[in-house]
Amino acid sequence: MSVTHEEVLKIARLAELDVDEEALPLLAEQMSRILEYVAQINALPASEGMKPFVPGPDALRFRADEVKPWPLAFGPDKLAPAFKDGFFLVPKLGPFEEPEA
Amino acid sequence: MSDSSEALASAKAAADRIVKTKRLNACITPLKELRKSLDQQARAAHPSGVLYGMPVAVKDNICTLEFTTSCGSRILEGYRSPYDATAIAKLKAAGALIAGKTNCDEFAMGSSTEHSAYGRAVHPFEKTRVPGGSSGGSAALVAAGAVPAALGSETGGSVRQPASFCGVVGIKPTYGRVSRYGLVAFGSSLDQIGVLGRSVHDAARVLSVISGRDPKDSTCEDRDSLRLPTVPESLQGFVIGVLKEYFPPDLDPAVRRACERAIRLLKELGAAVRDVSLPHTPYAVATYYIIAPAEASSNLARFDGARYGPRFDGALDVRTLYKKTRGEGFGPEVRRRILVGTYVLSSGYYDAYYRKAQQMRALIAQDFRNAFDRGVDLLFTPTTPTSAFKAGEKVGDPIAMYLSDIFTVTANLAGLPAMSIPIGRIKGLPIGGQFIGQAFLEDEMIEAAYALERVVPAAEEA
Repeated sequence: MSVTHEEVLKIARLAELDVDEEALPLLAEQMSRILEYVAQINALPASEGMKPFVPGPDALRFRADEVKPWPLAFGPDKLAPAFKDGFFLVPKLGPFEEPEA
Repeated sequence: MSDSSEALASAKAAADRIVKTKRLNACITPLKELRKSLDQQARAAHPSGVLYGMPVAVKDNICTLEFTTSCGSRILEGYRSPYDATAIAKLKAAGALIAGKTNCDEFAMGSSTEHSAYGRAVHPFEKTRVPGGSSGGSAALVAAGAVPAALGSETGGSVRQPASFCGVVGIKPTYGRVSRYGLVAFGSSLDQIGVLGRSVHDAARVLSVISGRDPKDSTCEDRDSLRLPTVPESLQGFVIGVLKEYFPPDLDPAVRRACERAIRLLKELGAAVRDVSLPHTPYAVATYYIIAPAEASSNLARFDGARYGPRFDGALDVRTLYKKTRGEGFGPEVRRRILVGTYVLSSGYYDAYYRKAQQMRALIAQDFRNAFDRGVDLLFTPTTPTSAFKAGEKVGDPIAMYLSDIFTVTANLAGLPAMSIPIGRIKGLPIGGQFIGQAFLEDEMIEAAYALERVVPAAEEA
């Protein structure tokens, strides 16, 4: 299993993560080794019928659908890097869709 | 007005002890702020609480109103939570004092507490070694005698492994025993808050307080708090399984000797001991390192510079803001896991990795059910393959680092309770023995640990 620099960059785009050109060779090498290691689970024969194991309660308990005061010590205006009139401020959306690599 | 002198004295003593452990880089709360907060908390503590005046340090990925919650990451630098985690609220209601935040691997991703924006934490007995991780700061503080107990969190062994390395007790409860509300999510189907204590009793009584139902967490079971067992006279009637896959031929001989001595003592206490096999164990680390990064890549998507923490400025559009903030805010190990997690969930690889890992997880959980169905009450294993390793030894080799979790990840994958207690030393460094119990039968596991703790020569060379 060998991950190319281009594949790392593609995955980084999906993950919204800036990756330095300088860091690419080491990252690609480490990802390749990790993916090679975890690929050993392919020793398990394919089984479509196997039910996944999910710990925790068998069924989700739902709360009553009612509006209650939000019990926070302070509001999002104290947490956000930029906040105004009840909104989180971000730069312009800009060209969100990037051309395919 | 109640007399708070007892709690005030405890608060002052805890602050003094934490100051003395500064060299460990285990407590990341500024000491002046810690003293002031402990004093205020002591004045407000409930004198009737079962933990009245007890200082409990808290891993930096558990939300507290008093102190910042940065998860050891630049991306949450200075973040102050607007609410207490349920575990913290329960500790306060029981009269405990929150004794600062402890250093950890960034977002709990690591096994050495070297991957922290605050710098590495230091082993309490040997400064060239790591205290384990990711709850290494909590373990080091307890081992150094600064606090009797501390909260940590577990996704793949992050309480038990540092407990083993530092010579303290570490308990990971059953998934759903303790509310995850206010625990910053890493791997939501694996994460649990756990407890480190200087003794089984200290750890167990803190676990008892923080356990129990919580309507704020739908994955928390609708059960009463854990009832503490009494210290048993013997282990007559207990059947303890010894897992053969956890004693491979290349296991450190001293770890093997310490475990064999502990098993002999369990027999002398009256327990019946049987060999047990869990055939899918060899695939556990691989399974874990698919599922945990996959869940992490999803959970950590929320850290984007829009709503919390610092924003790495200069971006002209929102996508650049996300990429810059995340690229600069996350450290190398977190970035690597996000990329691996995104990869295994991406189109074309999902079936080969993530779906397969989910199937393997089901088989691992079934292995445990089969063992317990055959009449075994508890399982006993080494907690870690070695004692604490040297700082820097594994930091450049992710696979070697991941393999230090080899004996702990299975309990997380199967959602079972497990704990580590000190069972001996190798060249002065502690090693732990692990009990794995049946779901929601922590009391049986703690009972066996109480009995073993009384007789095992934990401070002696194995």
